[in-house]
Order: sequence, then C-alpha cells, then structure tokens
Amino acid sequence: RKSIFLLMRTNIYLTGNLKFCLLILNQPFNKGHFHCLWSRAALRACADGGANHLYHITEGSQESFLPDYISGDFDSIQPEVMEYYKAKGCELIETMDQDLTDFTKCLQILQKKIEKKGLQVDVIVTLGGLGGRFDQTMASVETLFHATNITPSPVIVIQECSLIYLLQSGKHKLRVDTGLEGSWCGLIPIGNPCESVTTTGLRWNLTNQVLKFGTLVSTSNTYDNSGIVTIETDKPLLWTMAIK
Amino acid sequence: MPPARREPEVLPSDSEPAFQQRSFSLSLEQRQWLETPPGSVCSAVLLICTFCQVDSAAALRACADGGANHLYHITEGSQESFLPDYISGDFDSIQPEVMEYYKAKGCELIETMDQDLTDFTKCLQILQKKIEKKGLQVDVIVTLGGLGGRFDQTMASVETLFHATNITPSPVIVIQECSLIYLLQSGKHKLRVDTGLEGSWCGLIPIGNPCESVTTTGLRWNLTNQVLKFGTLVSTSNTYDNSGIVTIETDKPLLWTMAIKR
Repeated sequence: RKSIFLLMRTNIYLTGNLKFCLLILNQPFNKGHFHCLWSRAALRACADGGANHLYHITEGSQESFLPDYISGDFDSIQPEVMEYYKAKGCELIETMDQDLTDFTKCLQILQKKIEKKGLQVDVIVTLGGLGGRFDQTMASVETLFHATNITPSPVIVIQECSLIYLLQSGKHKLRVDTGLEGSWCGLIPIGNPCESVTTTGLRWNLTNQVLKFGTLVSTSNTYDNSGIVTIETDKPLLWTMAIK
Repeated sequence: MPPARREPEVLPSDSEPAFQQRSFSLSLEQRQWLETPPGSVCSAVLLICTFCQVDSAAALRACADGGANHLYHITEGSQESFLPDYISGDFDSIQPEVMEYYKAKGCELIETMDQDLTDFTKCLQILQKKIEKKGLQVDVIVTLGGLGGRFDQTMASVETLFHATNITPSPVIVIQECSLIYLLQSGKHKLRVDTGLEGSWCGLIPIGNPCESVTTTGLRWNLTNQVLKFGTLVSTSNTYDNSGIVTIETDKPLLWTMAIKR
C-alpha cells in the first residue's frame, strides 16, 4: 500500500496533488483546523447539526463558507441556520434511515458526489465526532467500520487534539513527519481483539502482539525518530494520534 | 486473589428509609475534572445517579497523578478542606507546587512505576488494598474524569474498566461532563434509571469484543438476542421507555453508557 499522509503540511497542499473532502459533524470544532482545511477541500458537507457549528464559527462571513450540501434527518440543525443555507442555495438532503448515523449517511452522499464529479480524493477529513457525548464518539467509530463499504478513500476523524483512523487488516505505512503531529499515539483494538500486531517507528513497538481490551491496549505511545510508522494487523485496528 | 465479585444490587425504592439515610448527592455543576476514584459508601449501586459531595460522603478519596492538579485548582482558596487520602502515579503529570502542597499537608504520595498499567489502574489497585485494610464496605467506585480530551486516554479508561473486575469486586463507573460509562460483565443486569438525574440518551457499546446475544428491556429500542458488533450494529442514541428500569442480558462484556444531568 502507498504511504498515507494523514496530516498535510500547508505547503504540500499548495504545491502537491493531495485532494480531500471535508465533512463537518455536530460537535464543536477547532477554528485552527477549520480554516486550514476549509479552503483546500474539494467538497464540503455538514451532517445535520454540523451546520450549526459552521454557521457560528463563520459568524460575520457565513457567505464565504457555504457547504456543498447539508444532509441528515434535520433534528439537530437550527431552523434559522437551515433557512440561511437554503436561501444561499446549499443543497439540503434529508436522510431518514434510523439505523444509520448522520455521519454514515453523509459519507454515502459524499461518495456519490465524488463519483459523479469524477474527483480523485486521497482522504476524507471529518471534523468533530470525538468529543462530548460518549455514545456519539462511539457512533463515529462505528461509521469508520462502515466506511470501508462506502468509499475507497481513507476516512479520518479529527477533534481538538485527537485524530482517529481505522486500519484494515494488512500492512500500513504512515508518514508522521509533517510537523503537525503531537507527541502521543495509540493502537486501539476497538470492536475485536487483534491476534497479531507488529509495528515499527513507535517508542514502544509491538511484535506479533495480541491487542485486546482486558489484555493490552497501546495508549500514551509515541514515536522514534524515523518519521515513519508501519503497522501490520490481522484485524481492523484503530490508530489514534495527537495533532497540533 | 481478589474477593469474589458481587453482582450489583438493585437500587431500593425511595420509600425505604435505609436508602434515604444513605443517599448522597454530587454537585455536578462544579464540573470536577478529577481523575479520582474515591470509594463511596452507598446502599446500592451504580446508576443510582445520585452522587456525593466529594467532601462529604466519600469514604476514601484519591487522585491519580495529574488529577491532583485539577483538585488543587478547583478547590482554590480552600484546598485544606479537600485533601485526598492519597495521590498515586508516576508523577509525570502532577505539578511540583501541587505535589509539595499535598505532601506538606500530610497526604500520602505513592509512586507507581509500572509502565504497562495506566495511572487509573494503579490507583484502583491501591484503593482496593486500602478498602480491604480498613474493612470498608464499598458499593461503588466513582471515577471523575477520564472520558474527555485525548482519545487514547479515553480508551485507557475503558481498558481500566476491563481490568477492574480483577482488581475490585466493587462496580467502577467513570463520569465526565454529561457522560457515564460502566462495563457490564456477561450475565443479567438490572439498572434503575428513574432517579431524575438521567439524561435522555444511552447506549450499549461492544467495545472490546462482539457480543453474540444481547437482550434488553426498558429501552426505546430494545434488543432481543441481538448481535452487537462494530461494523454490524452498535446501540447509540438510544433512550428509555417509561418503566424506569432497564434490564440487559449479555453473553460477553458490554459497555453501558448514559447521559447524566449536570
């Protein structure tokens, strides 16, 4: 597999070909992340109440920050926010499926639009989804499990200083030398035990290690100086890291 | 060998005087971000949703490393009235002046260097030893903090709940802001959810392993011999029916999570 930039240095983005889409969920998010990501995204969407946060964080200049679409069952979006974006011509897509989260449904729509426009997308960045209600954080992780059946693009979730990314079984190579990495990282066997995990590039590496809640979970890990982390896993495994 | 695990008891009804005497309330408005597992004596369990004033009803109070920083700052002006029984950890998070203060006030400082276990886990181990030494009857261990901020730390808190069953027979719950989590072992459980401190949402999260068969009553969306598994089905944004009681039967450990009012 090709190595993945989970984080993108601004100058890489200015000169390079890294293309991504931005998805905003219904949780407060960091202005710093937002401005850096919004301007470079190929497509921008809000999942239901994510539109509220977008509206408030862009107060005074909402017109310059219009999402391509807002999707969801619209039980979280504030009426005045909905009216505003509707009047500005943003597409509003109602999705009533109660078995899927707003995030999952938003991702399904995003993939359709990516295909329709023939976009090449290297990563889908999701803002919000890791803070606040614990059940919602878990719902975000659940969506990452479904994402592999929805889109071939990697999906990452960012909130405040945390990033999560679900590694499918197999070998992975992550570049961690963009300067945007914080100090900590971890490998979380959420959903299922992993019988054999092997890593390089970490301060505390694993060799054919079992990762399992109740046995061993890798948290408060960090990096060696190589700038590259490789992870081989037999089952889906959640990678988490600090971002500045 | 830890004492045999007790099944959590059902909360007695409010009309029972025994419960009235031993109920206690936590002022959640104070937003205590402590990573502290104080032992607390109460008549029944968990999800009682009436919590204690840290300064009053808790039988034991402890800080795990940097939890002492939060305690120190949140009790500014009257730290002397809020002294923990002990502070444990590898002391890489606690601020020097905070450590000096509590040391000078006679709080026990216990350094725990085991790098394979989190500060939370080690603090819990020490707590259980003290509970046994003092011969305390403890019905629940309340942990404040542990669910916000760094994602890896949230997961470390969940990991500690898995280890807790081998450390203490007392149920351990973790609370932060509006969220509470509690790990249900395989078997049947009965939770009272009518204390008035419940928020609207709840969920069942198969966090470490799939559950092949989960059956519930008392929820808005109940399950009957249902598989819960990441990638298949996870119960989030659930809520309650009007019965005031939730029962859960699970074949594997399953994480219960719920909203609590502030």
